[in-house]
Amino acid sequence: MNSQELTTLYDKAKQKNAQYKHKICVCCGAGCISSGSEEVLKKIQEEITARGLENEVSAVPSGCMGPCNQGPLVKFLPDNTIYQKVDCKNIQYVVQRQLIDKKPIEDLLIFSDSREKPFLNADEDPFFKKQLKIALKDCGDINPEEIDDYLNIGGYSALDKVLFKMLPEEVIAEVKHSRMRGRGGAGYPTGFKWETVYKYVSAEKYVICNGDEGDPGAFMDRSVLEGNPHRVLEGMAIAGYAVGASQGYAYIRGEYPLAIKRIENAIKQAKKLRLLGNNILGTNFSFDVQVRIGAGAFVCGEETALIASIEGKRGTPSPRPPYPAESGLWGKPTLINNVETFAGIAPIINQGGEWYSEIGTPKSAGTKVFALAGKIKYSGLIEVPMGTTLRQIIFDIGGGMQDDGEFKAAQTGGPSGGCIPAEHLDVKMDYESLLSLGSIMGSGGLIVMDKSSDMVDVARFFMEFCMDESCGKCVPCRVGTKMMHDLLQKICTNHATKIDLDRLEELADYVKECSLCGLGTSAPNPLLSTLRHFREEYENRIRQFEELQP
Amino acid sequence: MSKKKLATVWLGGCSGCHMSLLDIDERILEVAQLADIVKCPIVDGKEFPEVDIALVEGAITSDEHLKEILHIRKQSKILISLGDCAIMTNVTGMRNYFNLKDVIETSYVGSVSNDDAGEVPNHWALLKLNDKVYPLQEIVEVDYFIPGCPPSADAIFYVLSELLNDRIPDLSEAKKMKHG
Amino acid sequence: MSMTKLTLQIDGRSIETESGRTILEVCKENDITILTMCHLKGITDVGACRLCLVEIEGVSKLMSACTTKVADKMIIRTSTEKIKRYQRITTELFAAERNHVCSVCIANGHCELQKLAYDVKMDHIRYPYLFPQCEVDTSHPLYVLDHNRCIVCTRCVRVCAEVEGAYNWDVMNRGTNVRIISDFNTPWGESITCSDCGKCVEACPTGALWPKAVVQGQLNKAPEFISDLIEKRKMKL
Repeated sequence: MNSQELTTLYDKAKQKNAQYKHKICVCCGAGCISSGSEEVLKKIQEEITARGLENEVSAVPSGCMGPCNQGPLVKFLPDNTIYQKVDCKNIQYVVQRQLIDKKPIEDLLIFSDSREKPFLNADEDPFFKKQLKIALKDCGDINPEEIDDYLNIGGYSALDKVLFKMLPEEVIAEVKHSRMRGRGGAGYPTGFKWETVYKYVSAEKYVICNGDEGDPGAFMDRSVLEGNPHRVLEGMAIAGYAVGASQGYAYIRGEYPLAIKRIENAIKQAKKLRLLGNNILGTNFSFDVQVRIGAGAFVCGEETALIASIEGKRGTPSPRPPYPAESGLWGKPTLINNVETFAGIAPIINQGGEWYSEIGTPKSAGTKVFALAGKIKYSGLIEVPMGTTLRQIIFDIGGGMQDDGEFKAAQTGGPSGGCIPAEHLDVKMDYESLLSLGSIMGSGGLIVMDKSSDMVDVARFFMEFCMDESCGKCVPCRVGTKMMHDLLQKICTNHATKIDLDRLEELADYVKECSLCGLGTSAPNPLLSTLRHFREEYENRIRQFEELQP
Repeated sequence: MSKKKLATVWLGGCSGCHMSLLDIDERILEVAQLADIVKCPIVDGKEFPEVDIALVEGAITSDEHLKEILHIRKQSKILISLGDCAIMTNVTGMRNYFNLKDVIETSYVGSVSNDDAGEVPNHWALLKLNDKVYPLQEIVEVDYFIPGCPPSADAIFYVLSELLNDRIPDLSEAKKMKHG
Repeated sequence: MSMTKLTLQIDGRSIETESGRTILEVCKENDITILTMCHLKGITDVGACRLCLVEIEGVSKLMSACTTKVADKMIIRTSTEKIKRYQRITTELFAAERNHVCSVCIANGHCELQKLAYDVKMDHIRYPYLFPQCEVDTSHPLYVLDHNRCIVCTRCVRVCAEVEGAYNWDVMNRGTNVRIISDFNTPWGESITCSDCGKCVEACPTGALWPKAVVQGQLNKAPEFISDLIEKRKMKL
């Protein structure tokens, strides 16, 4: 297929979609599926057929819409009306009222149980209104299993654009201009990373998509892969063109069977249309993507460990330098980016780096996907411009605290991050601001805690996670996290003295500075940040114990 | 300068450290000039008196030891862990890898040297073993450590003579440190 | 690869050397002591023990000397108070992790971990001992693998793969549960890959691997024999 044929495909997809007056999207992300959305979709399709509406209405599975704890979610397009907690028993009624009578059922609309008046157009609801979706843009609106749906919204046009109108250097310049930073956690400027890989001369180079999302409570990458896999593939192919690689690997954790299924399906479809594979769109550029499945080790999200895992070795990190950009997979220059990073590439190419760079803050451009979890009213997946405050995210978008509890802290960045106390609720969510509070952006997990949370126990929980997930290669992480965990356990059970706390702090510095990879160096973060913001909770427990001593 | 008071204690160990202490031979006279040995395994006396220096051999293995070490810590200005058992539990602590119950049954019931009527001793006057053996520093604050199994007589004499002459001993500087 | 001359500073000393070398190599050539445990000259360095960490001016992280290459005008510090403090913690953690009972260990007096303890002036360990229950594999006719004494430096794994080419050893599990395994975690004596060459035994820094033919006090390992062997093989005489 060449560029012209792609245009024909776009027309065909548009025509196919134009015949439908209504599109019903049933969220078939992993969250909604577990609350029974597949059955809901089947029932809706049966209802449509029973009413003889199959030529007017299409009912398809879609990716994540965001408010995951309200599922199963059903969205009616073009009205953009979302029904929540849809029960198979109600389907006849919902279809009748929404499609035939045009009288939406207010009591079943999204957030109807907590808003005084729910919104017919979901985008007007504060939950959606205050978001800005780039990576997740089409997630809830298209069928992730059909490439036609992606083509219908201009899919692969960015790839078409770079192949025919841009040199690799120009692509890199555009990405640099966007000021996008890696969404995996560390926030390294994406364009610079691409440029570094581009500059190394090698007959073979590789592009790796890191989908080994392992933070507890984080599901950003999963939702993108499940909801819009083609966008990720397009981003990878563009990256391949820019850095000079012809082979890509999508490394996805084994705990995401649906994401794996959908990306494999997407690869097959894209290859069939020659949007991946040899001579893409009739050019000399060839790029293939293979899926590699992670076997459950958290550390395999670390780039050098991930590469070792793809090579078939034990997934343990190795010291950098050399960085993967110089010597990565099979010793060749390798570009490794996060799922969300790749998902942001096509929009940057289509709408320009300038457009992207104007979103967010001067140092952190663009948007960031967060997974809201914990004691928040509306948990789920959101995407906001960088620099949105924590207060806006929790109270405007997330609807505030569950059961009107009092906010105590929010943990960002999962086990590698830190907590943010109430006095910093107005912190801007960007890389630098979070770092200055002793936390990190991380991949975007955001766990909200109320007054019932014990911060020492929170630190102990994350330390236990790091201890269990330590690969065991270097001593500081292998033994240091175990010792810190045991000391935290001692504090939690009110058996620790001041000396234990001193030891704990010394170990925290040691593990942070001496560990081999990011898992180890960031493992003390939850401890250090709770010590920084909630030190009195530690000291109270120690005082209680010391007062009991004879 | 008034003479200092010195005590030596034998907890969960094999007394090898005390043998090594005796190996300082005639240098014991130098020690005796500067200190009175007011309590040791061969000096009779019920209460542990207030002392300047206590040399403690062995690990904490039982309720008795625990009571003793807490008392010794209170009575001593300087507490020294003498030997590997006191510092790292050493051989005494090798039961820590197993359940106490299994260890006792293996020794008293299953042991090959037993006739078939092996029995776990159970008398109120016997001390009660802790589940785990602890080194001293996990229970009380320890001021100095003389590692070794046993520590050399030289090392013991060096530490004692430094402390009795109001100097701070440094085994590492003196090249007298030895593990095992 | 062409070598270029470069000048750098280590602990205040100006040193001339060539590119392509690691900081550790340059330090050794210039009699600057760097503590190591997972390093063995000739086999691939993995930077796992973290004893050889050094400070480099302008670099925010501590870098492992065994894996970091020298660069022109590098200013390196190898024995600051912080580095010494961290080396002692590392040693303490090694000692607390498994059951290192020197007095009954075959390697007593000939053990690199014991020597390390003296180097960092460790007279006691401030952390609670973990006292894990560890297996001792005596199934091999010539050698013993004692997990109680293993510090997971993986010198045996690398020597077996890179020098002998037998790939008998590997690592399993995570965290403090990591164990060196023979084949797919089967008794060493049943290994179908082990060539009984004993290089792993020579390479092992502690009493984790030892020949059955010796008694305590007689064990004298020669890891430098491995390094010599590698050099000789390169010469292809």
